[in-house]
Amino acid sequence: MGMPSIPTPAEVRHRIRRDVERNALRARNGIEHVVGMNRAQVGLSPKEVVWRRDKAELWRYANDGVAYRPPVFIVMSLISRSYILDLYPGNSFIEKLVEAGFDVFLLDWGVPDEADADNDLERYVDEYLPRALEAARDVADTEDVTVLGYCLGGVLALLLAAAHPEEPIRNLVLMATPVDFQEMGMMGAIMGEGRLEPDHVIDATGNVPSEAIRDIFRLLKPTADVASYATLWQNLWNDEYVHGYQAFGQWTRDHIPFPGAAARQCATLFARRNAFMEGTLRLGGRPVDLQQITCPLLNVIAERDHIVPSASADPVIDLVGSEAAEELRLPAGHVALVAGRQAAKTTIPTIVDWLQAHSEAAAPLEA
Amino acid sequence: MANERPLWRKAIDAVERPVGSRLENLVQDERFSDVLAVTTHLQRALSRRLERAQRRLLHIGNLPARTDVARLSEQVARLERQLRDVSNRLEDEKDGHAEHPDPG
Repeated sequence: MGMPSIPTPAEVRHRIRRDVERNALRARNGIEHVVGMNRAQVGLSPKEVVWRRDKAELWRYANDGVAYRPPVFIVMSLISRSYILDLYPGNSFIEKLVEAGFDVFLLDWGVPDEADADNDLERYVDEYLPRALEAARDVADTEDVTVLGYCLGGVLALLLAAAHPEEPIRNLVLMATPVDFQEMGMMGAIMGEGRLEPDHVIDATGNVPSEAIRDIFRLLKPTADVASYATLWQNLWNDEYVHGYQAFGQWTRDHIPFPGAAARQCATLFARRNAFMEGTLRLGGRPVDLQQITCPLLNVIAERDHIVPSASADPVIDLVGSEAAEELRLPAGHVALVAGRQAAKTTIPTIVDWLQAHSEAAAPLEA
Repeated sequence: MANERPLWRKAIDAVERPVGSRLENLVQDERFSDVLAVTTHLQRALSRRLERAQRRLLHIGNLPARTDVARLSEQVARLERQLRDVSNRLEDEKDGHAEHPDPG
């Protein structure tokens, strides 16, 4: 350890000036943050609704420079808002896919209410997904699609590909997708036999309320708020940081209710029977065999994921029938796979490279 | 930027990191899930009792309780679901979709 150097008067003046300026900005941004001014605008990439059924909507993102086929069809989780994939310009997974030349579709589930309490996994896997996929193929005038699922959306994508091997899925990309629910830690254990029954957390609307989902996520990182507020205070002078913080903070507080029927099934099939691992999965009374999945597959695992621990996502490759199944392990957390500086620098470019290598050049648009 | 961490931040990190990591381990412990389950059961039992008492009081005054509203709301939701299913079935027929895929 060397002796600390004594700052020169010029350095002291510079530091004082910088601190005064930063404190003024802190005060301004702090007031704006507290009173809720300048709420982050999220999910801004231009898009149009190309299909809808009940609350589910299929969005197609505007792209005049489609350079690759097939289109990328993104399946979102049932419990979180899809704008995490399109947080804000410059920090958007979807924007990067569009810039890379893909025709991007996203299946957004909307916000379930009482009318959706009966939505079971069959409704998603046998009804919404095949129809939305067909709509995407019609609109994009293409034979097949690359399906990309994130988190619980990855589980739905797996179920779709396994239960409907006839669906024209060229490639399957799974991001932070749990299959071994014994490795899900507290998230799996709490729904274990003799502990909580799904009906204990289902409210009068017939759904698991969004607050319960938010509380469970908060429990996994009990002091995250303290660290996050400290970092906010430290960077409160930085407009760009505050904007990112607001957008991300908004998403972490903004979960959606989990339809009761699907929640009951997930608890039974996954948390209790670990059906993917045991090979006992049944949907609509028929067996679902992951060996039916034979298309090229990329399993993206976040090594520092506290929601879907890597051990719960690891076995995908051994369970599917694909010969071209690859694994991509990234030193990232659950959200850093798709948003933030690390996503922009490492994770998204790696996924884009894989997608480009597994796609073909699109025919140029007719003038 | 990391070397610019102010003293107050270093102090927070020095406490938050070890405490956070301990709490995270505690949450992942099987016993924590047991405790959480028991607490939820108790909370549910308590709120059910309160609700029952509240309902009795409101019914004495001939007023609807939360459970009555919930029941009505569930009935409306059921109707909405039926309507939705009929309209979806019609749409499927128009598009030539089978109602459910062949379980084969």
